[in-house]
Amino acid sequence: MTDTVFLLVATYGSAALFAVTFLSCLAVPVPASLMMLTGGAFAASGDLPLASVSLAAYGGALSGDQTGYLLGRSCAGWLERWAEARRGRAALLGRAHASVERWGGMGVFLSRWFVSPLGPYVNFAAGAGRMRWARFSVWSVAGETVWVALYVGLGYLFASSLTAVAEFAADLSGLVAGAVVAVGLGFWLRMMQKRHGRVKG
Amino acid sequence: MLTAARNLWRKHRFLFIAFITALVVTAFFAARLVLFSLYWAEPAHQDQPVEGWMTPRYVALSYDLPPGVVREALELEPVDGERHTLEEIAEASSLTLEEIQRRIDEAVRAQKGDRE
Repeated sequence: MTDTVFLLVATYGSAALFAVTFLSCLAVPVPASLMMLTGGAFAASGDLPLASVSLAAYGGALSGDQTGYLLGRSCAGWLERWAEARRGRAALLGRAHASVERWGGMGVFLSRWFVSPLGPYVNFAAGAGRMRWARFSVWSVAGETVWVALYVGLGYLFASSLTAVAEFAADLSGLVAGAVVAVGLGFWLRMMQKRHGRVKG
Repeated sequence: MLTAARNLWRKHRFLFIAFITALVVTAFFAARLVLFSLYWAEPAHQDQPVEGWMTPRYVALSYDLPPGVVREALELEPVDGERHTLEEIAEASSLTLEEIQRRIDEAVRAQKGDRE
């Protein structure tokens, strides 16, 4: 698997990076972070220009984010009609809108690079929850800058041990994503438990 | 604690399963990270063997050799042209990856000898 990714970057260069970062923002399971590490390593060896590697990855990520947001946005009307049908649903959607309003910016920023496996879903949700386009875009631009700089930079710096860096990065990113989801679900469970306590008491 | 878990299981089964799954995933990656770090800490495991996806320039970087030396070992023209992988180079010539590895190791030894 890893070797195939390395080979793709070696063969197709920056075009492969653009395609993969774009697709990864739309929940297509492609190893974008690994591709960027590889691109950085080939930039260090002199096989690819660093600027074109970074710009291709950045361009793919930004256009992927916009596409995901627009897809979500196109479902917003449908979602609202669905929610209007019942009071419970409407309340749920109202709460979702409130949390997008409150946490949306930071959520978009952190889901670009820190918890990147959640990124595509945040794109859809931001669109469907009618987050303001300018606000979404500003945080997306900021977050993708960190994502691309981080992975291309790590690949460049640790180029001579690319296989090891790839393993470290994959494990660490899985660990962070798992932990964030676990903490989130833990809070949710705790909230549910308290609510039941109140109903009983 | 046990009663609480039983309650959660009864009332929020889906959420509870999702939570446990997330914990297991986290533990899995934590374990992988630790195991790989231990493996990587051994100097003998830090060498990256030559592979088909590598380019001559990448081999030069990884093995700390001048690019010209690698190109010479692979019987390539000294001028740097397009980006080719070792796989492509092996297909176009009579070299195998094992043979390439042997030549690179030899070049590393020769370089070390020169330096000392």
